[in-house]
Amino acid sequence: MDFGEVTEAVMYERYITAASTYAHSIDHLFLLIAALVGFWLIVAEVVLFALVFKFREKEGQSTRYITGEEKELHRWITIPHMLVILCDIVIIVPAILVWYNIKQAQPPADRTVRVYAQQWAWSFQEPGPDGKLDTDDDVRTVGELHVTVNTTYHFELMSRDVVHSFAIPSFRLKQDALPGRTITGWFRPNRVGTYDIQCTQMCGLGHALMAGRVIVETQQDHAAWLMRNSNPSLAAQPAAPAPAPESTTMAEVRR
Amino acid sequence: MREYKKLAPRQIALWTSFLILFGWGLSGCGLGSTSAAMRGQQLFQNCVPCHQVDGSGNPQVGAPNIAGMKAWYVQAQLQKFRAGTRGMHFSDVEGMRMRPMALSLITDGDVTAVSAYVETLPPVKHAPTLTGDAHAGDNQFHLVCASCHGTNGEGNADVKAPRLAGVDDWYLATQLRKFKAGIRGNNSKDIEGRLMRPMARILTDEDAIRNVMAYLDTLKP
Repeated sequence: MDFGEVTEAVMYERYITAASTYAHSIDHLFLLIAALVGFWLIVAEVVLFALVFKFREKEGQSTRYITGEEKELHRWITIPHMLVILCDIVIIVPAILVWYNIKQAQPPADRTVRVYAQQWAWSFQEPGPDGKLDTDDDVRTVGELHVTVNTTYHFELMSRDVVHSFAIPSFRLKQDALPGRTITGWFRPNRVGTYDIQCTQMCGLGHALMAGRVIVETQQDHAAWLMRNSNPSLAAQPAAPAPAPESTTMAEVRR
Repeated sequence: MREYKKLAPRQIALWTSFLILFGWGLSGCGLGSTSAAMRGQQLFQNCVPCHQVDGSGNPQVGAPNIAGMKAWYVQAQLQKFRAGTRGMHFSDVEGMRMRPMALSLITDGDVTAVSAYVETLPPVKHAPTLTGDAHAGDNQFHLVCASCHGTNGEGNADVKAPRLAGVDDWYLATQLRKFKAGIRGNNSKDIEGRLMRPMARILTDEDAIRNVMAYLDTLKP
């Protein structure tokens, strides 16, 4: 049994499906942090209660109060301290590697989708059968993102109003959306299914209800879905690459 | 060493039961005394951040003036938002904002209660924000809108046409543009919305919309 299998059996996989290529690297990191921090938690509590018990008040012995300045007492602090710092390094090195692989290095995209966050909904713009954004056959959806399994996606994340956070727990993906900025990220789904999209940044009254679904389909299913939903007549609406396609309402009110 | 009086297991059981019953009773206080009217008022607190305490709305966030709106219409629209037949279009920013709010009303009873409360709010009349030719709008209105919405824009529940007189012009103009663009009334289950789309298209340009708005401003709610 390798480390990956242990993680799957022991940790998140049981509760939240891992459906992207980098999901397990995040899980491994969490397991490493949980194991190291858990170890020190248990050691610290055992030592604390053992010392309290050993030096408790009893017949012929009053409770001792110590300042911890003596050398042999000092060691109780310095040695664990050094070991904890060593553990920090053990955590930081793989953490930086995971961060680099997910957030810094972006593998080339097979497809690119645009994700719009707004109070309190997710909407998506996906290229139609031509595979290009901002063309007549783009598919625009609300609350549902359709993607193909084993395909590398870049997403362009924008906010139409305030700060949101685009989170797909099954992909182990979380990225803040900032008004006025287009933030690019990537994911590669590797398991067919329907998974939750959540907003993980408090964004107002309806934040808790700002949910969506990502539907990972086979190539054939996705192609069929695209054919059903791609409608060139939608091109009549502005296929604006602008970050916040402002509602007709407010634009008109200000006129 | 200081001596503490120990509680007997029976006393512990008695006090625990008392506290549980007391807490249980307290938690039920709000539910027990809530009439439908009170419930509606309570639920309306979720609407206040956008629609204001008096229901007069806020154009800055696209929230319409709903004070005094008929309960049947509010209820129908809330149900459409809940079912996703309204507020699910990519370009309907305000609709998408309203949808989760409608979904926060868990039961049909809650929808009925809050709709009834909205109807009890005294209507609020705002000054017009658009200018147009009221005389031309009069003709357009009677040609296109009056058959369903009434000759005085008072609405007609029988054909599910809401009151237009007294509704803010910016909101009505926005909705007409949405109907024309297929942003509203595009869902096959939104029967009234689908009926409205060809009607809105008869108002061919922006001037026609503004003229009808100018005429509606002359009508009394």
